[in-house]
Amino acid sequence: MIHIKHVSKIYYPRRVVALQDINVRIRPGEFVFLVGASGAGKSTFLKLLYREELPSEGQLLIGGKDVARLRQRDVPYLRRRIGIIFQDFKLLPDRTVFENVAFALRVTEASPKEIRRRVPTVLEMVGLAEKERHYPSQLSGGEQQRVGLARALVNRPPLILADEPTGNLDPQTSLEIMALLEQINRMGATVVMATHASNIVDMFRKRVIALDRGRIVRDQERGVYSNEAKHLEVHPG
Amino acid sequence: MKPSTWKYILGEAGRGIKKNTLMSVAAVTTVTLSLLTLALVLLLVFNFNHLAGTLESQMQVVAYLDDNLPAPRVAELDAQIKAIEGVSEVAYVTKAEALERLKAEFGVDSDILAAVEDMNPLRDSFEIAAADPEQISAIAGQVAELAGVAEVNYGQEILELLLSLTSVIRYGGAALLVAFILATVMIIANAIRMTVVARRREVAIMKLVGATDALIRWPFLLEGVLLGLAGAVVTAALVWAGYSWVVGAMQRSLPFVPIVAEWQPILLVLALLIVGGVVIGAVGSTISIRRFLRV
Ligand SMILES: Nc1ncnc2c1ncn2[C@@H]1O[C@H](COP(=O)(O)OP(=O)(O)OP(=O)(O)O)[C@@H](O)[C@H]1O
Ligand SMILES: [Mg+2]
Repeated sequence: MIHIKHVSKIYYPRRVVALQDINVRIRPGEFVFLVGASGAGKSTFLKLLYREELPSEGQLLIGGKDVARLRQRDVPYLRRRIGIIFQDFKLLPDRTVFENVAFALRVTEASPKEIRRRVPTVLEMVGLAEKERHYPSQLSGGEQQRVGLARALVNRPPLILADEPTGNLDPQTSLEIMALLEQINRMGATVVMATHASNIVDMFRKRVIALDRGRIVRDQERGVYSNEAKHLEVHPG
Repeated sequence: MKPSTWKYILGEAGRGIKKNTLMSVAAVTTVTLSLLTLALVLLLVFNFNHLAGTLESQMQVVAYLDDNLPAPRVAELDAQIKAIEGVSEVAYVTKAEALERLKAEFGVDSDILAAVEDMNPLRDSFEIAAADPEQISAIAGQVAELAGVAEVNYGQEILELLLSLTSVIRYGGAALLVAFILATVMIIANAIRMTVVARRREVAIMKLVGATDALIRWPFLLEGVLLGLAGAVVTAALVWAGYSWVVGAMQRSLPFVPIVAEWQPILLVLALLIVGGVVIGAVGSTISIRRFLRV
């Protein structure tokens, strides 16, 4: 699914080295936690995958295709195969829940019939069927993130990228979102999630890739947030 | 793109217009003002050209004769004038007849005319009609050469005045028009810039979910076009109503002034207004899309 070879990312003009010699292979259907301190390069890692940024060095393949070599006009078609979720939800405040989700279908020129069929289905899946006429401001944080999730899912993308999706949510709500992500993963989607939520990482025991100042310092199957024992004491389950 | 996508794009453009009501109203108003200028210039030019054409077709050469020309010379002149190529009719008007005509025009009891009655200051003349108005000036030139002809007049002053007025309207109007259109394009560009800025977030999200650049640009372009079109429709309505009124009023009170009342030239003006509005809107929004919408 994803093959990253010797990728570095330097932000100009101040030459900030955000990622350095990254080598990762992620197979279809995997669930990967991306952890590391603030500024370690997690968001940059994800941005390279959805081609918000281009690698300064190395090669980045998604489904065998070199993302950096993609022509500008093909980028939208890459993005349609990736569902992206953010900490701040990135919903449109002046549109209903339905419209926010339908948005992702409209850009693909889905027919109105298809939109009417698929939006309620995905809203049902995230448990928001009754709130499709609500505006984001009328929803709780958890509900807003579920709208974000629904929007990411509605095109049935094989790859889901989540950048601190539970960053703004309380523990209970975070677990609800995680349950949904896990469900999507079980249905076959590859999930890469950047997070600071140690309790969640420790609870789910998925593959963990740890970044430190732009380098991969750990890549562990069924891993934990941190190998330092004291950390686990601070955040018991 | 599919019809459903166009419907969506149109909806988005309408949303942009509604969101910035004040800016939209300002844009439509300025479009209307500059298109009204365009319409005014066009209609004036049309009418002046029409007037010039009408005058030209009614024009005749009047050859005033030397005082006390002997009758045989007058008869000779008559024959010479008739021999000039292009002359279709020649009429001899004595100064007494000319005075009678003046009296008829001014009213019999005009004091001024009574004062000049005894010492008629007018001159005998030949009124010469041309088969083709184009030949008027050539005929006038040849008649002026003839012995016994004191002065030749064929309304050249009025025609020249009319033509120079027409060019003043043309060039002055064009300059005004260019200034107005530039201002309008800038106002539209500004309206679209505000929409673009207001929608930065939305555009970013559109890109993230895989919208093509075309789909992102179209609503903004269409918004500008709709503003231009709205201004054009308002202008067209104003021009239609206003011009019909002017035509009606002129035909009632100044029936001898030829005014363009056929529908073809007026429809042409209306069509130009619509095209102008759309073009102004498209250019204005393209400027802002290029500058502020980095897609
Ligand atoms: N657009 C940018 N221009 C310049 N430097 C940037 C840019 N984006 C990120 N950086 C820098 O690159 C480094 C990695 O940033 P990144 O956002 O990937 O970290 P992160 O792991 O996501 O951090 P956090 O946990 O705080 O979200 C940081 O030093 C950051 O300041
Ligand atoms: Mg980040």
